[in-house]
Amino acid sequence: MKRMAAAALAGALVVAIAPFVLDGYTANVLVRSLLFGVLALSVDLLWGFTGFLTFGQSAFFGVGAYAYALTATQLGVDGFLLPVSLLLGLLAPAVLALLQGWLSFYHRATPLYASVVSLVVPAVVTQVLYSGGTFTGSSSGLTGYDMPDLSVPQWLWLCGGLLVLLTAAAAVFVRSDAGRLLVALRDNEMRCAFLGIPTTRLRIGLLIAMAAVAGLAGWLYAAYSGVVAPELAGFDLGTQAVIWVALGGRGTLVGPVLGAIGIDLTSAYLSGSLPFLWRLLVGLAFILVIVLLPQGLFPAIGRLILHRRRAAPVAPPALVPAATATARARGEALAVSDVARHFGALPVLSGVSLRAAAGELLSLVGPNGAGKTTLIRCLSDGTERSGGTVHILGQRLGSLPPHRCVALGLGRKFQTANVFDSLTVAECLRIARATIDRPSPWRRAGTLALPDAAMEVVQATGLDRLLGEEARLLAHGQKQALELAMVLALDPALVLLDEPTAGLTRSERLQIGGILRRLAQDHGMCLLLVEHDLDFVREISTRMVVLHQGRMVLDGTVEEVAASDLVRTIYAGEPH
Amino acid sequence: MTLVLDIVTTAAILFAVSAGLLVVFGVMKIINFAHGAFITLGAYAGLLVTQAGLSPWLGLPLAFIAGAACGAVVERIVVRPLYTRALDAILATWGLGIIIGQLLTLGFGREVQFVQSPITGTLTVFGEAYSAYRLFLVLAALAVGGGFALLLEGTRLGLNTRAVIMNEDLARGLGIDSVRVRFITFALGSGLAGLAGALITPLSSVDPAMGVPWLLNAFMLVIVSGASLLTLALATLLLGGAQVLVSTLVSPILGGLTIVVLAAIVLRLRPAGFAR
Repeated sequence: MKRMAAAALAGALVVAIAPFVLDGYTANVLVRSLLFGVLALSVDLLWGFTGFLTFGQSAFFGVGAYAYALTATQLGVDGFLLPVSLLLGLLAPAVLALLQGWLSFYHRATPLYASVVSLVVPAVVTQVLYSGGTFTGSSSGLTGYDMPDLSVPQWLWLCGGLLVLLTAAAAVFVRSDAGRLLVALRDNEMRCAFLGIPTTRLRIGLLIAMAAVAGLAGWLYAAYSGVVAPELAGFDLGTQAVIWVALGGRGTLVGPVLGAIGIDLTSAYLSGSLPFLWRLLVGLAFILVIVLLPQGLFPAIGRLILHRRRAAPVAPPALVPAATATARARGEALAVSDVARHFGALPVLSGVSLRAAAGELLSLVGPNGAGKTTLIRCLSDGTERSGGTVHILGQRLGSLPPHRCVALGLGRKFQTANVFDSLTVAECLRIARATIDRPSPWRRAGTLALPDAAMEVVQATGLDRLLGEEARLLAHGQKQALELAMVLALDPALVLLDEPTAGLTRSERLQIGGILRRLAQDHGMCLLLVEHDLDFVREISTRMVVLHQGRMVLDGTVEEVAASDLVRTIYAGEPH
Repeated sequence: MTLVLDIVTTAAILFAVSAGLLVVFGVMKIINFAHGAFITLGAYAGLLVTQAGLSPWLGLPLAFIAGAACGAVVERIVVRPLYTRALDAILATWGLGIIIGQLLTLGFGREVQFVQSPITGTLTVFGEAYSAYRLFLVLAALAVGGGFALLLEGTRLGLNTRAVIMNEDLARGLGIDSVRVRFITFALGSGLAGLAGALITPLSSVDPAMGVPWLLNAFMLVIVSGASLLTLALATLLLGGAQVLVSTLVSPILGGLTIVVLAAIVLRLRPAGFAR
């Protein structure tokens, strides 16, 4: 925090004295570079933090610029018209971003597809500007419109101040509890969705905000330079912004801003004398950094100068018990009727019906390929199944996407440990609580509230001593325990567990087994467990269900099922 | 009738331009953003042949060789180290595109230049006089597609390549040198881009930025078709056809956007695109 405040102050100081030390030409160019810095900042938040590689932020910059130029030519920008124009410069990019977001982000969209759409948007915007006739000025753009009566130093202070302010705000946000959501989204979007977080809405929301930021930069650019052209919205500026961010250091905020200013200023000087050679050098530097130094130049230089990796780690929050709001109904937790799933003509599940009540620990067994994981998927994601109905706590699952299914009261633990690698243990747990305890967008809370069940797992497995540790550094068993604790942090009534003990040692297995039993007995949860290890299942289950070749073949007490001929045949390979 | 011929020849051009990108995407799962630059490179190879006063036919093999050689070098130095970082590989190829473009500008200057066409005049098809060179391009596209089908189905290398496309880890486990397959693929794809560049220049002109407009269309066509030459042919016919229709009936500017917009919508509604 102290370092950040010092950096912001230093930035403000540089901006304040810049007009007095710079020559006229440099000051002139610097205004543009500062606005490009704002554009780079918006790219970094999207790409560096949430992992969405966008080539299309220039579209919003261009739309913002034309918002100013068009209002200035059509209406003028005197008096109250200036704020109207500004509003347009923020709203028009935001609306376009809503459209792009709807196209790019949906349940099961791939990152590549979102990048592809980000290429399409600037192409469309430039063509629309080209075809706008005299209204948009076509290929020659618009010029000669009214501009605000500001001197170059005033522009420098305005744009520099804005850049420092936005960068500082972004830095505060990404370090806050809510800001960690962006990184969680980048690390593991699916885990986010199964923690009840509306990932699609989050991504679209962030894109809209960043479109408004880029639009504001473009609006100021048009007001300052007095000329706009379709190229401002083009794919070329969009990819240049990606280059600035990559060279400066993605995910560092300051790096991309410095990258944009440095490259744009230098190119203003060199493009006169060596235009092609300069672009060649930038291209070369870009490739070298991508291949050899993916973190970018800013962090690398920072390490060289400071001889240390980062400031003292933030103290992890204290754990406190959360109010478990729901006095759990003792009724039916899960009702599955005639569920089927087929891929094309290949049936994987058919006619599966199943009921489970609160307090039950139901184990689902069966050989590989029996459809166990597919069934778990059909229960936790309404878009998965091909037929049948599912009720969670009496509510229809319908075709709800995962985060809405979670809101019905279910939690799902994946087969492989599914945590957020670059977040700490405490941060992972806080993300899991995000839908219940809304995280602050500007600070880190000193406490972390967990429901009893999650607290028990955290304490029993020693995770409470590792709260400040990054999740990727945990041992395999600890990761599995962390994911279980994250799922339990949702305070679910129904927990689906896909082989929660896979890859664990015998003692870890016993420990998890004990915890699972207590979750059902003491906390009244309903657990549905997929397992291979029959001995383990026998020890902890209250009931067993056998799946074989996509059909439910047995449903009974542990003794009945374990003793049946079929199970012996499947597991021991005895002949029929 | 001219409209039908326009659609078929446009599809053929798009197919020739996209085929190299598709091959690289299929095997390596990366989008080669330097594709546009390789197209430009091929076009300049054709220009050199014209300037030397040689037969324009010579430009085609030369363009292929130039593209393939350049692609081979690039694969070794830049693409291979980024094998596990797909999005970074895409970025690096974009940087390569800039470098190649600037080198061409330094070498040949920025001005627009023209290349001699190997076939001139018109042919009469179904009672219509139509550009003979555009008709030749249909044959060329068929040859590219046919050649690839033969390579994939009829050779040992093709078998290995198909194995890598389906399951690279398993293929490696079976002793297939997937690094070599990737290397050859990238060189081939780049060579095809060069060839496409030489093929399309007689229709337009040569300048250092000429590859970029083609890149976006080719890119969308490839994403929409998955990793199959057959679906690519289908996609070029359908989307290229739509482009011709919109260009002639509505406006050329909207026509230029038809492919990218339609492809984006198709992918939104059906993420697998035209692939089964």
